[in-house]
Amino acid sequence: MQHTLTITTSNEASVVERLLQVTRYRGYQLAGLELTPLTDRAGMQITLKVQSDKPITLLTNQLAKLYDVQHLVLASADVAVLRA
Amino acid sequence: MNGAELVLKVLQQQGVNTIFGYPGGAIMPIYDAIYHSTVKHYLCRHEQGGAFSAIGYARASGKVGVCLATSGPGATNLITSLADALLDSVPLVAITGQVSQAVMGSDAFQEVDVLGLSLSVTKHSFMVRNVKDLAATLQEAFRLAQSGRPGPVLVDIPKDIQLAPAVEPEWPEYPAPRIATSLANAAKARELIANAKKPIAYIGGGVQMADALAQLQTFLAESVMPSVTTLKGMGSVARANPHYLGMLGMHGTQAANLAVQQCDLLICLGARFDDRVTGNLAKFAPGAKVIHVDIDPAEINKVRFADCAFIGDMKQILPAISATTQCEAWLAHCQQLKQQYGWRYDHPGERIFAPLMLKQLSDRMPDNSVVCCDVGQHQMWVAQHMRFNSPRNHLSSGGLGTMGFGLPAAIGAKLARPQDTVIAVSGDGSFMMNVQELGTIKRFRLPVKIVIVDNQRLGMVKQWQQLFFNERYSETDLSDNPDFVALAAAFAIPGHTITRKDEVESALDAMFTWPGPYLLHVRIDEKDNVWPLVPPGAANEDMLTETN
Repeated sequence: MQHTLTITTSNEASVVERLLQVTRYRGYQLAGLELTPLTDRAGMQITLKVQSDKPITLLTNQLAKLYDVQHLVLASADVAVLRA
Repeated sequence: MNGAELVLKVLQQQGVNTIFGYPGGAIMPIYDAIYHSTVKHYLCRHEQGGAFSAIGYARASGKVGVCLATSGPGATNLITSLADALLDSVPLVAITGQVSQAVMGSDAFQEVDVLGLSLSVTKHSFMVRNVKDLAATLQEAFRLAQSGRPGPVLVDIPKDIQLAPAVEPEWPEYPAPRIATSLANAAKARELIANAKKPIAYIGGGVQMADALAQLQTFLAESVMPSVTTLKGMGSVARANPHYLGMLGMHGTQAANLAVQQCDLLICLGARFDDRVTGNLAKFAPGAKVIHVDIDPAEINKVRFADCAFIGDMKQILPAISATTQCEAWLAHCQQLKQQYGWRYDHPGERIFAPLMLKQLSDRMPDNSVVCCDVGQHQMWVAQHMRFNSPRNHLSSGGLGTMGFGLPAAIGAKLARPQDTVIAVSGDGSFMMNVQELGTIKRFRLPVKIVIVDNQRLGMVKQWQQLFFNERYSETDLSDNPDFVALAAAFAIPGHTITRKDEVESALDAMFTWPGPYLLHVRIDEKDNVWPLVPPGAANEDMLTETN
């Protein structure tokens, strides 16, 4: 199943590496990645699409722990599936 | 003042008076600052040893451990220790020198991307790019290492930052961190506990790390139930508690494993359903509902679904979920399991039986002694046959299972708690992994007691080869071990070898009586194995014992 995560992060140079390292290690396949610097250069908005049969919360819980991650939102369609 | 001197200022401001490390080119300015500093630096003989000493210091004291290394090989030598600290949630700050920013990215001498290497073995890692950020970054590293679920934080400091002019900053007063804790599920948890017929508490290292041992004893006194611990949770339950069943898991007690398999309510406190604990996960505690308490949200439902979960401060949660239990028949049943499967120390022959020797060591060591283990058969025998009154007194590499942990960890523990006896129990394989740290013991005349349990084998691997690989003993013969007593003597450490049961008690007494460091070399039979054992893939009730 594919999931879309919208993640607001700090502007640290290593932040994308950290997101991808956790995604790979926890067993989720990358299906899309989009980066948009925030206008005040204080951070980035990253859209991460991942594919896995594992529950997505196992990944979001780990990503949310990252120091550079300020905010993480699972696409509303995915949340609806989780709640169903 | 330059950046390097500011590093030492921050360490002092954080209350650090003991650090471990090894100098080198890219960290020379910091070592130059150490030369005049009141912060005491302990020179280890390998960066991995230094970091393990910092871990031992942290685990024995509850303070943050600090280690230093230079760039390149110095930094890569830290990686195993960082991983160890991550998996065992140890507050550690590692400071590495880096080549100057002008040459970074050019494959300069002793340049390695330590930030990149650190990603999967730290809680977080920082690279300082501007001397103006140096103090705040280090302060943040200390805050992060201790907050929430503790862990290792690495700060990589290029040499030009160390040499840059720096100004001592204002030291802001940080309020004590508040841990967000929701007690919304407390009524549900109390109901589950009150209605359980067969409840059991499964206690991990997180209870001690939350400084909640007193709350745990109260909880177990009010909500009377059997309890078991993980390797890291050992020492959490008061010795006087009659319902404690020992360690659970692969080499746990039969009583602990059988009780957990039979329970109807499993209250997991600061533990994480590690595979060495659960055995076959699908068959683990199959009839149990689960209450899970942890400070790390990512541990909830990671491995085992929790019927009722709490995230936050264990000290607040334990009193909130306490409820009177009605489980006398279950308590009696667990007592019967405990009686039925108690340890036996009758062992034929004159050769030393390691479980008995370790029980004798446990009975003889002074109260509040710290025992630091390596990894393998001796580690499991220590967990089975020694008793501890605090997890801070049993330092064992749990999550990573790192051979070579014990000796340097004992050095750190002794420096953290100089008044307490510190014993490194090692195997003949593990001891050789960081044997160079005998040099650190010699240099600082640290009265660490070393007990080597020597079966001339990589015993745990050999045991698995015997049981699961048709006795193909591939590369586990260590019968060409060095003369350990002579090796210790080369570092001015006296020692003695024993081979017979009747030598054990007097040898232990001699070791404890000797005022300085001492090495006791204990030869055991290579045929002795660790029992019971849950075979790979089996449920925890299907334990192998010596007789089946």
